[in-house]
Order: sequence, then C-alpha cells, then structure tokens
Amino acid sequence: MRDYYVLLGGFGSGKSEMALNLALEKAAQGSCMLVDLDVINPYFRVSEREDMLDKAGVELISPPYSMKKIEIMSISPRVYAAFTPGDGTVIFDVGGDHVGAAALGQYKPNFSRIPPENLEILFIVNPMRPVAADLQSAWSLMEKVEGVSRLRFTGIVNNGNMAEESDLSHLLAGYDLVKELSEKTGVPVWGTCGQERILKEYEAYAKEHGLEEKYIGKLYPIEILMHRSWAKYLKEGL
Amino acid sequence: MAKKLMKGCEAIAEAAIQAGCRYFFGYPITPQNDIPEYMSLRLPQVGGCFLQAESELAAINMVYGAGGAGARVMTSSSSPGISLKQEGISTCAAAEIPCVVVNMMRGGPGLGNIQASQGDYFQAVKGGGHGDYHLIVYAPSSIQEACDMMQKAFDVADQYRTPVMILADGLIGQMMEPVELKTNPDLVLPEKPWAATGYTPGGKKPRSVLNSLYIETEDLDQLLERLFARYAVIEANEQMWETYNTEGAEYILCAYGTVARVCKAAIRILGEQGVKAGLVRPISLWPFPSKAVHDAIVQDSVKEALTVEVSSGQMVEDVRLAVNGERPVQFMGKAGSYIPTAEEIAERILQMRRG
Repeated sequence: MRDYYVLLGGFGSGKSEMALNLALEKAAQGSCMLVDLDVINPYFRVSEREDMLDKAGVELISPPYSMKKIEIMSISPRVYAAFTPGDGTVIFDVGGDHVGAAALGQYKPNFSRIPPENLEILFIVNPMRPVAADLQSAWSLMEKVEGVSRLRFTGIVNNGNMAEESDLSHLLAGYDLVKELSEKTGVPVWGTCGQERILKEYEAYAKEHGLEEKYIGKLYPIEILMHRSWAKYLKEGL
Repeated sequence: MAKKLMKGCEAIAEAAIQAGCRYFFGYPITPQNDIPEYMSLRLPQVGGCFLQAESELAAINMVYGAGGAGARVMTSSSSPGISLKQEGISTCAAAEIPCVVVNMMRGGPGLGNIQASQGDYFQAVKGGGHGDYHLIVYAPSSIQEACDMMQKAFDVADQYRTPVMILADGLIGQMMEPVELKTNPDLVLPEKPWAATGYTPGGKKPRSVLNSLYIETEDLDQLLERLFARYAVIEANEQMWETYNTEGAEYILCAYGTVARVCKAAIRILGEQGVKAGLVRPISLWPFPSKAVHDAIVQDSVKEALTVEVSSGQMVEDVRLAVNGERPVQFMGKAGSYIPTAEEIAERILQMRRG
C-alpha cells in the first residue's frame, strides 16, 4: 500500500519546499511520486526542479503545460496514476490557499478509499506570512481549505521562517500559532520544519523552556531547495 | 512594523494601502494577479473598494473617475494589459488625474510570454498613449524598494497631479523576500480643491470639471504649456538613481530593475579578477537621471560603458543621449525574457577589455 502526503496551507507557507525534501527522502528509501497540483503559481513551482527530482529517482507528475511558460494551469490526467495500487510514497504539492486547494476536490472518491493510516493531510503554517499570521486567519484558512479540498486535516506543521533571514524566533512564533490552532481545531501537530541549524537551536530552547512536546511533534530538518534567495538566484537562475 | 515574508505583488499592494490607496480597479493578467487578489481581500477591511472591471479599458476609466474625485487610486496590469490601458492613461495625463499604475512586465510584443521582461521601457517613458505627455516612471530592483516607492508614487502623483507608473519586471512581482512595511497611522492626504466631489448650486465652490477635450487651439495650447511647465519642474526635482562602485571605475554598467542586482554580482566577480567596474542604476526612468548617468560614465578612469537590459535595447538610447558621444556605450541584452547571468555580464566586460 502506498503512503500519501497531501501538503496544503497558505500561499507561500513553504509547501513546495517541504514537498521537495519529503520527495528526496522517500525516494532514497523506495519509490516516490510527486504530484505538482499547483494551478496558481506561474513561477516558483516544484516542476522547475524536474532535473533534480529526476536524478533522485522521483517520478514527477506535472500539469501538461507547466514550464512551457504559458498560463494554462491544467491538471494532468496522469494524476490518477497516483491512486493505482503500488508501493512507496505519493506526495501532493497543492497551490496556495483555498483557491488552489479546490483542485483536490475532484479526487475525493480516490482519497476516501485510502486507509487512514496511509494518509497524512498536512496544513503548513508560517506565521511570518501575513496571509496566515494569527489564529483567526490561519483557522479560517484551514476551514476554507478543508471545505474545497473535501479532505480533513490529520496534522499541522510549524514552518515558521523568513527565507534567507530565518532564525529561532520564527519557529517560536510558529510554536505559539500551531499550539493555538491545534487547541482550537483538535488537529494534532505533526511536526516542526526548518533548516537543521535552526532546528537544533529550537530543540535546545524547547528543552530549556519546557515547550510542550505535543506542539512540537517530529523535528523535520529541510534543505532549501525551492526558494531562491537573491544570491542563489544569481548562481542558479530560477 | 516587524519584517514579514512577502511576495512582491502582495507587498506592493499592502504598501499602496499604507500609502492611503483605497480604490483598486483592474483586470486579471499573469504575472501580476496577486496584486488584485490581495486588494480584493484587504481593501474591504480598510473601508476601500476593489472592483474587477469588465476590461482593462473599463478599469483605467474607473481610475480616472476615482482619481478625479480626489481619492488615492491605483490599477495594475502586465504588458499586454497596459497596452490596453494606454488610451485611459493618456486621458488621465491630460485631465491631470493623480493615480498610480503598476506594470509587472512580461515578455512581448503581442501576447509574448509570462516570464519577466523589460520590453516596455519605451512604452512607459516615451509616451505609450497618444499625445504630448509624460508619466513619472519608477523602476524598483527589490521588493523592499518597491514597497518604499509606493508611498512616494502616491505622493508625487498628488503633488504634480499626474499619473505615476511603477515599471517592474515579473520577477519583482513573483519573488518572495523579507520586507519591512512602513505603517503610516498619521497619514494626512493633501487637500484637493480641484476634485469633482459634488456641486452645490449657489455654493462657494465652483463646478469642478476634469476634462481632456480642448476643441479650441488656444485652450489646448494652454493645457500643454501648463503640463510642460510642470514636467520641467519634475525633471529638475524628481530624478532618482543609485551609483555603486563608480568612483575611479574602468567600466560602468547601466541597468535598472532586477537586472541591476545581477550587475552588482558581476561587478564583484570582476573585482575578484582585478577589474574595477561600477554601476549606475536609474530609479526614476522618467525623469531620466541624465546628469547622474553622464557623470558616472564620463570620468577620466572610464573606458567604456555597457547597458544591460532584458530587451533588444531600449534604455540604452537614453544612456547614449546622456553620454552624448563622450564615451562608447555598448549594449547587452536579449528580448524574450532571458535574464543574463552575472558570469555572462562579467565575461562581456572582459571581452570589451580585450578589445
């Protein structure tokens, strides 16, 4: 049976970053399929990392026109291949907000046949993004996304970051927000995402200050593969 | 306000709201859709109005209406959409309507593509619409600069009663960078006694008429004299530019927008190889900072200049006019959204050096 991860969240919350990291990790352990279900963004989408994914052995399902530099945001019929019997992991990277999440709604019958233990539906939170910076806006976004995607969240992910200027304070702001959000919705915190160095600082801080384990979850170190800081952009292009 | 991680389009929209913009009229086109999207969410929260018009033409004429009534108003689009708005922009310039127009440039001509480009320089600074007029045109090279520019854009639009254009390439709109948005709780908007806000018969205020039709030759002449006297003041007072490493440089790069940031990286590469290069970056494209560009390039140490653009060569004409033959000005650029790398720019300078 395949394991499924569906990554959802606010616009620019870091879904694609997590999707790429998860895909590389899972591909190293077995087979992995990454579905680019982003119907929102013209630039900065996982399909731009096709070469890297290809080398790592990740099977990428992109919209037929993505990276052809035209703006027909369509969904590949190959997405259904993700629901065929098989092994390994399938990751869905979904476009921003509830608008992008609407693309998922049509797969409701397919998702409902997946046993709950094989399905993680994660809401990624970055409190440094003004679209979901406080409990009210994050909670309202969560409800809207659930509505249109016709899926129920199984976990919340703290991805507090400020791109190249990220530090511990952003994860701490994330901790406060995911704690409130988890208390409000009853959805558990799946984990905390961040660059390894910052994650280590966070772990130490959490011990020292007694942050609650259940609002930290799994510590998930990620490498920045998607976001282009200006320095990285100059070196590697988009 | 603490730093936030924002996409260029969102940051520009929020900065406009902080600058007192309460009305947005637009029509969708990639890669600027995040501006109307953000405005549709935020403007109702601050007592403003967002309206998706039935066309670009309708949108710019709604801008004319709101600007004519004295409100701070903006629209945004991307290259082909800006072409559609040109008639209205010319009308706003003639009727002296303050407003802000954002162009997130994409590849052209025609429908072109949706990648970043700088092909609309001529359109923005040499007219674009019909008739004798200018727009004040600003070109940001980072998201932070784009934010800071919005306040300035609304202020000068009101001060000179003119449309102002923010000319950014698609990258500025789509990139995410940490930005600090300046809030402006004590913002006082200037009085606009000329605004058409309603007429009371017998009242003290005369009827406000905002018009661009002047049938009599003398009347149109008068309007143009008034506009061009104002443009002279703008040219004298509103030029903006940045110089980087120009003093004593052997080569001067000239670029605007995100390309200027690539040039800075090229300058560092050249420096490591013992070649001293500098950059002059026009921030206001009209009024063009001719003297600053001239003075950066025409120094004893400078052999040649190189203008880099994501176009087939547009701003380079203004650079050559500014330099007036006192130094050779070469051009590097390709249309079709190709942004040169820092290595390519450095290599071009090294080639020029080898002769």
